[in-house]
Amino acid sequence: MTDSNQNAAKSKAQNPLAARLSTLATNQSAVLVGVLVLLTIVFSILEPKFLSVATANNILTDWGSVVLIAVGQTFVVISGGIDLSVGAIIGLSGVVAAWTMSELLGADQSIKGTDSYGILAVGAIVSVAVGLLVGLVNAFLINKFKIVPFIATLATMGACLGFSVILSSGMPIGSANDFNLISAMEPKTNPFSWAVIVVSVVVAVVGLFLHKSRFGLYTFAIGSNTFAARGAGINVERHITKVYALSGALAGLAGIYVYVRLGAGSPSSGNGRELDAIAAVVIGGASLMGGVGRIMGTVLGALILFTVQSGLIMIGVAPDWKKVVVAVLIAAAVAAQTLQNKNGRK
Amino acid sequence: MAGEVIYELKNASKRYGSVIALDGASLKLHAGEVIGLVGDNGAGKSTLVKVLSGAHQPDGGQIFLEGKERVWGSPREALEAGVETLYQDSGLAPHLTVSQNVFLGREKFVGGFLGKLGFLAKKEMDHDAHRDLEAVGIAVPSSNRSVSQLSGGQRQAVAIGRAVAWAKKVIILDEPTNHLGARQAGEVLNIIKNAKKKGLGVIFISHTLPHVLEVTDRIVVLRLGRIVKDAPTSEFTGDTLIGTITGTIQTIKVEGD
Repeated sequence: MTDSNQNAAKSKAQNPLAARLSTLATNQSAVLVGVLVLLTIVFSILEPKFLSVATANNILTDWGSVVLIAVGQTFVVISGGIDLSVGAIIGLSGVVAAWTMSELLGADQSIKGTDSYGILAVGAIVSVAVGLLVGLVNAFLINKFKIVPFIATLATMGACLGFSVILSSGMPIGSANDFNLISAMEPKTNPFSWAVIVVSVVVAVVGLFLHKSRFGLYTFAIGSNTFAARGAGINVERHITKVYALSGALAGLAGIYVYVRLGAGSPSSGNGRELDAIAAVVIGGASLMGGVGRIMGTVLGALILFTVQSGLIMIGVAPDWKKVVVAVLIAAAVAAQTLQNKNGRK
Repeated sequence: MAGEVIYELKNASKRYGSVIALDGASLKLHAGEVIGLVGDNGAGKSTLVKVLSGAHQPDGGQIFLEGKERVWGSPREALEAGVETLYQDSGLAPHLTVSQNVFLGREKFVGGFLGKLGFLAKKEMDHDAHRDLEAVGIAVPSSNRSVSQLSGGQRQAVAIGRAVAWAKKVIILDEPTNHLGARQAGEVLNIIKNAKKKGLGVIFISHTLPHVLEVTDRIVVLRLGRIVKDAPTSEFTGDTLIGTITGTIQTIKVEGD
């Protein structure tokens, strides 16, 4: 008893500065911030206009839509799974929310000012509910039919894409509205738009749950060793259900974010975004084998992703190259991880 | 030496399809007693462990914990009733810290609203994990360290320490000294002796017969799904134990088919 108290006191005394400095070099977040600074410097030299509030605003606005699904994806990946449906959920939830707002609430009329908030709130709830529902379907397929997450979420991805086209006849819904929130994203005098701040708060709260709560701990435990988690009495199936539900709900939230941004629910608005999310997660240092990942890593990973994309466009690389760049970044991040692990083990 | 009967299995049987894995096995475990469960591969050891730990339900037979009949619906139920099982090689989540592993499934929360939301009392658990492991005879450098950074022996020690620290009545250890060096295996055997001193009933399953002879009070030998011998450890030598396991020594208890 006294021994352990002494030990605890000792380790506390040793902890502060020296230990912190020595871990900084191996700290994933510090490395990612370094990469981000380096990218900013390189792009600013190549194109001086890159270093501006407008660019920052653009990057952060792009970041806002993807970081939500990337954070959900972080939970899924840590638990040892993958969720390919999140991009399609953005499209479907945006379309359903737009349809609800315009058909039921008459929001296709120009509604201005505070009158729009209530309607938008309903839209947001609908959007999150759609995402949640798809997440539950994913979990059902994975738990009940033992379909591997890759295939289960690929199937729901296809279904969501199909439904969103059917519901919208392939056209964006509700283009005529004039929500204050949308115009709040317009002026680029401040890098942080209102919506980006909301997203940041959501990400911070969800991140705290990942790293400080039992929910997060079980997510890590299941991804690390499902058998041990089960042995410790964790209801693995129920937890997996919650993880995919969370991922779906966050994708639904991203759906309303994209709606607000475009002023319409477009069936194709989330196409390919799952790839961005996975890229952000693996750049952020999460392992696709499960058990490893950090919210801060994912947040920075998404930021790096869009900094590279914006930078390339600004220095004159054709936008068509975007997907290639994302693919290269994913491959590079996973390769770096593998090499790191190899060296670490020896 | 040993106290009252704490855990009892009566006439348990289990078949998988046409294979009879367990055939009328009965077994009594006393508080403060260590039973060695031995047998060749396929003798029914793991089936017996699964029945005792609640992972499988026997097709026939009864289980009594402290004289009360119990039917385990899941390992969780057995766990909550005080029967702790350490499965072979299952042990720990490598990416979690020592204390996270020790407290996995039994977390402590911070007070107030945040605690209700599931926020964890990390410092308290780090401290208590260290204390509890020390109490059962395990010195782990830091309970804050990730399990993947520990050696194989340290991992096994943490896994066993976790089980012993939590076990209230019975602890079942399936091959706990497997893959361990001599010194580390010695430490594990010491932990078993500590668990016995705590008054726990211990069931020790092992292929390493010298360990079984060293640490157990009684040895139960399984062959082809049956308990063919149940006798005090002092009645066995290494040779007679091997003979009993393989069947070259005829046992009294075998009943004719």
